[in-house]
Amino acid sequence: MVSAPTPAGWEQRAAHFLLTRSPLGNLVRWVAGLKASVHAKLLAGFFIVTLLFIGMGVLSLQTIAKMASQGQLLDEAHERVHWSQEIQHALALQMNFTAMALLLRDEATVESILRENNRFNNTLARIEKVAQPEQVQLIQRIRAVQGEALTTVADIANLLRDGKVEDAMRLQLNKEYPLYLQIEGLVNQLVQREREQMDGLRSSVAAANRKTLILMACSAAALILLALLLGFVISWSFILPVQEAHGFLSQVAKGNFATMIKVPNRDEFGALADHMNHMSKELNRLYESQRRAAQELQGLNEQLQRASKAKSDFLANMSHELRTPMNAILGFVEMVLDDIYGEVPPHLKEPLTDIQTNGKHLLRLINDVLDLSKIEAGRMELFLADYSVQDVMETVRASLQSLALEKGLGFVAAAEEDIPLAYGDGKRITQCLMNLVGNALKFTKRGRVAVWVELQGNELLYHVSDTGIGIPKEELENIFGEFQQVDTAMTREFAGTGLGLNITKKFVEMHGGRIWVESELGKGSTFFFSIPLRVNHGGAT
Amino acid sequence: MSGKTVLYVEDNEYNLKMVRQLLARTSYKLIEATDGEAGVATAIRELPDLILMDIQLPKLSGLDATRRLRVDPNTAAIPIIVITSFALSGDDQKAKDAGASAYLAKPYSPRELMQMIRKFVPEN
Repeated sequence: MVSAPTPAGWEQRAAHFLLTRSPLGNLVRWVAGLKASVHAKLLAGFFIVTLLFIGMGVLSLQTIAKMASQGQLLDEAHERVHWSQEIQHALALQMNFTAMALLLRDEATVESILRENNRFNNTLARIEKVAQPEQVQLIQRIRAVQGEALTTVADIANLLRDGKVEDAMRLQLNKEYPLYLQIEGLVNQLVQREREQMDGLRSSVAAANRKTLILMACSAAALILLALLLGFVISWSFILPVQEAHGFLSQVAKGNFATMIKVPNRDEFGALADHMNHMSKELNRLYESQRRAAQELQGLNEQLQRASKAKSDFLANMSHELRTPMNAILGFVEMVLDDIYGEVPPHLKEPLTDIQTNGKHLLRLINDVLDLSKIEAGRMELFLADYSVQDVMETVRASLQSLALEKGLGFVAAAEEDIPLAYGDGKRITQCLMNLVGNALKFTKRGRVAVWVELQGNELLYHVSDTGIGIPKEELENIFGEFQQVDTAMTREFAGTGLGLNITKKFVEMHGGRIWVESELGKGSTFFFSIPLRVNHGGAT
Repeated sequence: MSGKTVLYVEDNEYNLKMVRQLLARTSYKLIEATDGEAGVATAIRELPDLILMDIQLPKLSGLDATRRLRVDPNTAAIPIIVITSFALSGDDQKAKDAGASAYLAKPYSPRELMQMIRKFVPEN
């Protein structure tokens, strides 16, 4: 499993802690592992949260309804207290009017007694309707005593009408008054009970409200927590695979193709991870095959380098092996011709000279072929040092003047005055000039060959001109190619290797210079080459 | 008369024979060695007046042999002509660095060789 990137912020650290140290991690993995689409999971999550909040709403409504009904109960209790107090009041008035009737002895007052009695009875009936069962008995007792009191009042009223005031007073004092006292006691008891009941109800309602509020707060907190938890679980079931993918892709970006991503998800993220693994496998396969190919190439390259080295060593050895017998052949011939073994008979001089001429030609061939092979193998190195251009021209002049003289040709080899010391491979430059001048002498039957070098800016410009046979236009381009000679008939006449110009071109280019030719058929040719006066160290191999 | 001694260190018998015959008509006395080790040993033993040293030799290269002889105080002053078959750029410099007095590219002309020998050790 790819390690997730190190959490950065505090919330990331907290989430990391929860995921690794609590069962939430398992829950997240379980949700991730559910075989459902991301869409379905999100929808389910929102649906559950919505349901939770609807539940919360229902609970709140219920609570409000319950509180309202308790309020009503309290109102009823309050009303009962009020009514029982009204009864108390009506009773007082009743007693008052009875007393008044004894004094005034008029009908109106008696009627007031009856009115108050009715009010008393009506209120009592109302209370009885809404009374709690434990009060009913008390109310019935009040009614019974009230009935007796009313009968007594009626008796008193009759006595008064009959003018028996003394009896009425006696009756009032001895019977009605105690009855009223009794009613008053009972009514007071009723008032007291209702009040107590109201107070009890009030405190129980307050307690219930407190309880309900706490319950509401707790369930709201629980709901919020549950919603948060759900959000956390669902979101992390998505975030985790994204983090895994992030880590995985960083590994891939680093070139670690062998990594596999493992997520518990069976949704779109799971499919994504599968694709990534497939991609990683493909990349790894490609990388491996590329690496193998590179290895094979490297092996091949090493083989080639070994082969090239072997070829170069072979060439160096061949150079020695071929030149050693050539040394003996040419040496012995020269010694014979120099009469070291006694005077040479005149008829042998010509064949011996032929042997010498051909031997020297063979040597040039060998030298050219070996030089070219070395150049082709990339093993030819220039030996860079300071050299004198004047010395180079002198060497060319000294070497080839006798040949020019033999052919009866004019020959000039000179350098512009004041050319400073040059830097390059003087021996190779000499070899180039020898090739060009040798060719010029070879292809010129009449006239002259001239070699000249001048300094133009930072470049040495060499000219080698002749009055020879010239080069046809169509051949000018190919003349510096390998094994090129103008035509085969000429090759026979002017025996040459056909390598000289090619080698010359290579050496000039190795010096960072260029070579070209201007020629007119039948009139002669001029070869030019320019090289830097001082060759750059790096650019000359 | 006691002629000057010339040591030729060369492994090719025809080249040896050539020089042998070249010097036969002169007063130079030729001693020969056919590998680098033997060349050094002979030079130290015989102390010749001049050494012709081929550059490519069995056992010890001509350049290494030259270097050894230059280190030995007895042979340090003997002129050594290094003969190379490479005729490549830098070979003359390598020969000079090794302590050669002169450099002769192979194939050399016997005439040139004779001139060079006479230049270093004149024939009485």
